[in-house]
This record gives sequence, C-alpha cells and structure tokens, in this order.
Amino acid sequence: MLVSPRRHYATPPPQDKVSDLPIGDYHAIADHTMEYLLERLEEVLDEVGDPSYEVDYSSGVLTLKLGHHGTYVINKQPPNKQIWLSSPHSGPKRYDLSFPKRDWVYLRDDRSLGELLDDELGETLDAEGFELEIGKEVQRTVTEHFKLPPLVGSLS
Amino acid sequence: MLRIVASSARSAARRATTSAAAAPSLLGRSLPAARSYHSRVIDHYESPRNVGSLPKNDIDVGTGLVGAPACGDVMKLQIRVDENGIISDVKFKTFGCGSAIASSSYMTERVKGLSLEEAGKIKNTEIAKELSLPPVKLHCSMLAEDAIRSAIRDYQSKRAAMKDPKKAKGFIDVTQSVITGETVATAHPGET
Repeated sequence: MLVSPRRHYATPPPQDKVSDLPIGDYHAIADHTMEYLLERLEEVLDEVGDPSYEVDYSSGVLTLKLGHHGTYVINKQPPNKQIWLSSPHSGPKRYDLSFPKRDWVYLRDDRSLGELLDDELGETLDAEGFELEIGKEVQRTVTEHFKLPPLVGSLS
Repeated sequence: MLRIVASSARSAARRATTSAAAAPSLLGRSLPAARSYHSRVIDHYESPRNVGSLPKNDIDVGTGLVGAPACGDVMKLQIRVDENGIISDVKFKTFGCGSAIASSSYMTERVKGLSLEEAGKIKNTEIAKELSLPPVKLHCSMLAEDAIRSAIRDYQSKRAAMKDPKKAKGFIDVTQSVITGETVATAHPGET
C-alpha cells in the first residue's frame, strides 16, 4: 500500500484552546480593565513626578515607560480573548479572564495581572505596600456585568 | 509597526499640548525616530536558517506546533533525535512577523547538537537578548520557547507509545488463532 509522502509532511492545525467567553463580554471587561489601569497609572506617575516616566494608551495598547527601568506594554489580544503583558523585568505573559477568581490570571503560574504589576511596580518605584487595586476593580466589573452573586471571600 | 509609530507620535503631541507649564525642553523635543528591526532580526528574516519540514511520522522526529493564525503567529518546529538523544537535525516554518521568524530561526540554530534536556532549558529571555527584541515582540520569543518544548514533548510521547505498542495511535491489533482460525481485530485510535 503506497502512502503519498506529502501526507507525512502535512501540518495539522495548532491546538489552541480559546476561552468560551463571548467576544462582546471580553471587550467590555477588557476595555474597562485597560481604562482603569490607565487612570491608576496616570495617578501614580503624577505622584512620582519623574519626567522620564510616561504612560500612553491607544488602539488597545498601553505603553508604560519608566526611564532606565524599561518599558511595559500591556495590550488587548481579542483573537485569544486575552490581555497580553510584556515586562522589562519578567518578560511576556498572557492573561485569561478567570471566572472562579473574577480576575485576569496567567494560567501557568496562577498569578493575576494586578498582583504582578503591584509587585514589580512597587519594587521599581520603591513604594512599600504599593497597590493599583486592579483585582478589586476587575472583580467588581465582572460581578456587575454578568449579574453574578457576590464572590465568597472577595478582595473587598 | 505603523501602529506603534503612530501611537508614540500621538503621545509626543499630547505631551507637547498638555504640558504648557512644564519645562521648555519638553516642548522643543523632536518626535522619536521610527522604530526599525534590529540588524540580527533582518539577517534571520533575509537568510533564515533551517527552513523546511521533516517527515512527521518518522519515529525519531518530534513536531512542535504553537500559536494561532488569528494572533498573527504560527510556528512549526521539528527536531530529529539520534539514538544518543542528541538533536541531529531541525527544521522550522513560521507564519508571522520578522521577530517571530527570527526567534524560531535562531532557536533552530541554537538547539542543533544539543541534548533534549539542554534544548528544553533554553529560555525566551536568551532569544530576546540575542535579537534585541523590543518589549512588544517579547511574545515571539516566548512562542519559540513553547515551540521547542512542544517538539520535545511530541518526540517523547512517540517514544513512550513505541515502548508500549498498544498505546500507539492509529494502531490496529490483529490476531488470528492458529487452532480455530478466528481473527480478532482491536482498534487503538488513541487520543489526538
């Protein structure tokens, strides 16, 4: 039985599990998260007052420049229904909306976007107990948007 | 790339208009130069190493396939492993930006001649440093790291199936009794 050698080279489609979250809901939650993040970062940078630090948000891409500490890029990734982050400190991560946690979570280490930013920015800005309170805001947004019962043991 | 240039131009313009009270130097600052690909990325793009395919059904070939067309990046990386567990040949095919192509091309160069264990330890940070990838392209280097690990996992699961023929995919076990002549066929379609 002769098998065409072409079949042995054919590429199957990549196994990519995209979440079941409806795209309209993704945009609503992600947009709100990005806008809130921008607001908080603008506040923080105003407080810090370093002219080499700046934050900009356009077309779903947030760029946070912290002088010689490097640049963070946080952006919406609609095809994956994710938020992508690139950190000058810890590299790239992809966040999915977790319903048990009602927060954006990196599935490989189970840490949230807010946790990472609080940790890294707290260290960079040398501010103890630094909190952007992203997790709280996302939790509130998800609970309201999907009309869910309050989360047991919530952050607030 | 156009989008990135546009947003940094816009941010510079915003700073210029809203910071009237700020130091004069800010208003006089020129717009940042357009960002271009690093020369090493261009080199990999124009002369990619190890482009091609290996027969995916060969027992000593591992195939890693990562990414999704919707995101703009798909990488296929294949390794051929010799009997000493050393990667003797490697081929890649990538659909994506220059940084994605360069990251996977660099990865194929890097893993040739390495053991599976050594290859699995290569971090995306090394690729990003080598190619001077900008922040927004760090995701490409992570994908290349995922691709080699996926290829290693695929090879190892093939070897595991080989040791236990009943676990092999698409395998039909046929036995015929010498005494009764009865034929029994058991299909093992396996999982995808």
